Amino acid sequence: MTVIKSSKKGGGPVFRGIPAFRFLTSVRLTITTLSLIAATSIVGSLVEQGASEEEYLSHYSERAYHFIKLFGLDDAYHSPWFYFLVVIFAINLFLCTVHRLKRLSAAKGRQVPDLAALVSSGAGFITGSANKSEVVRRIGPAYKRERVTETTEVFEKGRFSRYGVIIIHTSVLMVLIGGLVGNISGFKAYLALRPGEGASAAESRTPGRSAVVFGFAVKCTDFRVSMYPSGQPKEYASDIEILDEKGNVLKRGRIRVNEPLSYKGIYFYQSSYGRSNVYTFKADGRTVDIGDREIVRDTKVPFMVVRYAEDVHNFGPGVMVAYMDGDEPKTLWFLKNVEKMRKHVVKGSRIALENINGQYYTGLEVSRDPGVPAVLCGFVMMLIGLYTNFFTSYRRIYVAHGTDAIIVAGIASRNKEGFIEDMKRIGEGLP
Amino acid sequence: MTTDHALLGLATIMYLGLFFVHILYFTWQKKALLSFAQYALYGTVIVQAAGMAMRWALSYRLGIGHVPLSNYYESLIFFSWSISVFMICMRKRSLYPVITFIAAGISLLLMAYASLSSGVEKGIQPLIPALQSNWLHIHVITCFLGYAAFVVSFICGVLYFFRPGKIVPTRESLESINYRSIIIGFSMLTSGILTGAVWAHFAWGSYWSWDPKETWSLITWIIYALVLHLRFTGGLKGRRIAILSIAGFASVIMTYFGVNFFLVGLHSYAT
Repeated sequence: MTVIKSSKKGGGPVFRGIPAFRFLTSVRLTITTLSLIAATSIVGSLVEQGASEEEYLSHYSERAYHFIKLFGLDDAYHSPWFYFLVVIFAINLFLCTVHRLKRLSAAKGRQVPDLAALVSSGAGFITGSANKSEVVRRIGPAYKRERVTETTEVFEKGRFSRYGVIIIHTSVLMVLIGGLVGNISGFKAYLALRPGEGASAAESRTPGRSAVVFGFAVKCTDFRVSMYPSGQPKEYASDIEILDEKGNVLKRGRIRVNEPLSYKGIYFYQSSYGRSNVYTFKADGRTVDIGDREIVRDTKVPFMVVRYAEDVHNFGPGVMVAYMDGDEPKTLWFLKNVEKMRKHVVKGSRIALENINGQYYTGLEVSRDPGVPAVLCGFVMMLIGLYTNFFTSYRRIYVAHGTDAIIVAGIASRNKEGFIEDMKRIGEGLP
Repeated sequence: MTTDHALLGLATIMYLGLFFVHILYFTWQKKALLSFAQYALYGTVIVQAAGMAMRWALSYRLGIGHVPLSNYYESLIFFSWSISVFMICMRKRSLYPVITFIAAGISLLLMAYASLSSGVEKGIQPLIPALQSNWLHIHVITCFLGYAAFVVSFICGVLYFFRPGKIVPTRESLESINYRSIIIGFSMLTSGILTGAVWAHFAWGSYWSWDPKETWSLITWIIYALVLHLRFTGGLKGRRIAILSIAGFASVIMTYFGVNFFLVGLHSYAT
């Protein structure tokens, strides 16, 4: 990494002479942007994200709220200036990496370091020329042998270690690109289904965005939940079918928490469950099942259930039904267990409440994120890069010939203490 | 009292003993005390591991079998254990008695807090569905090994401000141990964050949700990334690196404890 430091002094390729480029490739910029990203994250974790105006005003003064809104702190991680920081960081990282790669590939014609200084620092020794073959034997076959100058040979190991930083930096870029792709062309949505119900679109999680259309239908055929004796949920699972427009089953499967199901890049996750009621009405001789706020349209006047009460004035369960009388909304109570209150004639339609049935519904998180492969690939690269950079070492051992003695001295990029020990081992007992 | 609690209680007492053996060593400077402390540390780690193993076995007897890494209490115990395991691993690299002394003190504090605080639920609880995943183990283990390494980095950072002498090692040695700990901690924290992200992808449908715990782990990651870059490319040394390692550890504390107490989020089962 000292490469970048030295480049700050103005060396390197021609384009670095341009001030803007020098600025964009500077480590100072990396440190500034990273610090600002961290600072934004701190603010974002302290200020509640995505809450409503009322919620903010209950915690903060009006002035503070204006400040929050002005800088987009209520959605800090999606605010324009946070994106700006990330983009600057990405450009900086990209240019630094390219620059570094260039320096590495240009480093072929390398110079021999000051071997005498290395010897005095303990990373080398001087011995008679006769011992050369013994030294070479002790260095071992793991090192690649190469001639640098007339009198000097170099033994190298772990050259790849130098690429660790490049791998890590590229992996960070890949994760950022994957994140960007997911942000632009992915979606997050939520869907609640009762067993037997289907849907071909879901409500978007992003406020203000329209519903997400799948291009196929998803149907929940069964939902089951099991509990621990303590009453906490142990496992819940939904049986799901993917259907085309004609109703043909394209895919079938069970989803559990931690085990999603995917079809054409759209993932369905088991995220929650709950109970809701199904109301059975007989309207003009036909039986209809509806849920809360679902509208029955095939009667003379459309109606829907707006409220459910477990016990209405000690008369048992009942529902409040709403309908339109001309322009005026009207409501009417239906009581399940009171024969007279069970049936009403509404604008000429005979409507009777037949049954109220409590039923589970499954809550599904639906998402599409084409950036995931790039992100996962970035993760793997990052781990490989970390290992290569921090836990492997680039070692060079120089063997230089004098008239009747040889100098053996070397450099290691990591674990210098271990390297010095190894050098001592190589030189042990040699006159 | 069940066997697991008895063993963990014993481990707590052993940490206390370890702490005092070090104090005796600092007063009398007897080499024998130091080698005794070393064996005591091995013993403590084994007893504590046995306590966790018992708890594991017990959870199976209760019919809710799971690795004891699932709630705040279990994480505190594992954290204190990780610090000691890290000590043993670093031992080969000439770790100094003062570092093992402070580390034993921190382990002792964690164990005492876990068993004495009324706010920490000590029972074996069943796993909620989101935690029933093989990613749980690797995620928790990597995170806490990372935290343990950062504890050592923090200790080195603090010791840097003391005068080197009989007890406090030289500044060069402190810097070298600090740097090595940060490298291991940073690699482990990265693995922890990445395994967590992959798990979140399968459990929550999104690999990154800016949940407070995720956010603070990113902040911690950025701080240590800055430390590494400042050291390598800026050539920063000495006091500033020591101060930054203390700041980094403050962020670790916030990630592990602070988020649970001050902020709400998806990781709420960790409280």
